[in-house]
Amino acid sequence: MSLDAIPVHVINTTPAEPGLSGNALPLLREISELLRRLLETGETGTIDLSALPLTPADLDWLQDKLGEGEIAVTLQANGESTLNETACSGVWWVVHRNTQGAVTTQFIEVAWVPELVKAHPQDVKIGQESLELLISDL
Amino acid sequence: MQGPLIDTLARQGITRRTFLKYCATLASMMALPPSAGLAMAEALAATRRPSVIWLPFQECTGCTESITRSHSPTLEAMIFDMISLDYQETLMAAAGFQAEEALHNAMKDNMGKYLLIVDGSIPLGLDGAYSCIGGRSNLEILKEAAEGAAAIIAMGSCASFGGIPKANPNPTGAVSVSDIFTDKPIVNIPGCPPIPAVITGVLAHYLTFGTLPELDDKKRPKAFYGETIHDRCYRRPFYDQGKFAKTFDDEGARRGWCLFELGCKGPVTYNACATEKWNGGTSWPVESGHGCLGCSEPDFWDGGGFYKALSMPADPLKIGAVAAVVGAAVGVGVSVVNRVKKGAAKSAHETTDLADLEK
Ligand code: SF4
Ligand code: SF4
Repeated sequence: MSLDAIPVHVINTTPAEPGLSGNALPLLREISELLRRLLETGETGTIDLSALPLTPADLDWLQDKLGEGEIAVTLQANGESTLNETACSGVWWVVHRNTQGAVTTQFIEVAWVPELVKAHPQDVKIGQESLELLISDL
Repeated sequence: MQGPLIDTLARQGITRRTFLKYCATLASMMALPPSAGLAMAEALAATRRPSVIWLPFQECTGCTESITRSHSPTLEAMIFDMISLDYQETLMAAAGFQAEEALHNAMKDNMGKYLLIVDGSIPLGLDGAYSCIGGRSNLEILKEAAEGAAAIIAMGSCASFGGIPKANPNPTGAVSVSDIFTDKPIVNIPGCPPIPAVITGVLAHYLTFGTLPELDDKKRPKAFYGETIHDRCYRRPFYDQGKFAKTFDDEGARRGWCLFELGCKGPVTYNACATEKWNGGTSWPVESGHGCLGCSEPDFWDGGGFYKALSMPADPLKIGAVAAVVGAAVGVGVSVVNRVKKGAAKSAHETTDLADLEK
């Protein structure tokens, strides 16, 4: 029997995408709130996406809404991590993977620069020392 | 004395960012608020390694095998760089009198401050003669070591609940750690064996916050034992649709249907296998086609048969008791609510330190 044989046709006025749980929209509001806080107080914020009941479709939707920004950072530290700015400046999509390439955690970080990207003063000091050593050897 | 941990790690070629990433993942796994990752990293990086004494009693060494075979070895091994494992019979080079000396020195030097990890149950029959080390009964050794311990971690189902040694008819009179002490902070990490990430997670929590993680009524960390296998099982939709495999090789089994009728104990078993998985995240028992044995629950060995469906009244008494436990934990099934609650509870911990634990 073909589907045309059924006399009733459903017309979807709001074609709800399959797989969406409805949990992603409130996240956008939360992100906007975090941005407001960043602007007013400089305080950063993080949302742990792996801790929320989001379907793969929700994550796609969210990523689509936030868009792609200008900066994409790759970190090689026991597996690859990507820290990418979204089209919304100050909102970063952070994905950590293990050495097998599986996603271990996903965050949205609202900050001027993601914490992991910044160099730590102690590490900078070590770098400076080894550079001094290098120069003195030349 | 060792310097701060971050320096030790740096010497091993583990960068600060690798460490930060690890802490972020760990915090997420433990359902801590995301900001905890950074706080953990800061606390852990500066931590001086606390002394840990690990005593094996009536056990099969499976728990040690589990932890030493944990995935991303460099990362899990990090946790072991954060502690000073002063006594572990399987891993230590010393033996005999030297080993005993190491044990006593560690206890003396860190009186009231060391963590005591116990794997295996403790036999009380025949005055403990069933299991002795260096001519002393397990009970004697445990009591002495527990005296100066800040907290005891009962590793695996045997130390937590008596496990297989305690199985009917319990010939050695085996008991769990919490059967012996009522006045000590105890964390049970049951499982036969426990999941490595759970073991290291509890250690990391202790190192960071100086406290033990939030526990359920069986003294299990809620972050890992808050939900049943069934709650998080990917075969759950089939259970809900009433699609059950009837044998291990029928059409249903091939289609990956629910294993309930083949004896799966997932609905009454609190553990993290369905999310953490085993062997470096490769798979886990239900994914490999076998029902959960319920290995992280008390008396799982006497549950009336691994291949009998839970609903079959093989041992109605036992099932009744387990069902009551499920009832007691109502509410933890909703993971988000749970995580939020835990997050709130955890943030209250952030200012506690080792001194609080010693009170
Ligand atoms: S296989 Fe076991 S844990 Fe999974 S849905 Fe079925 S009964 Fe529940
Ligand atoms: S699936 Fe069940 S029996 Fe198997 S390891 Fe996990 S808790 Fe234990």
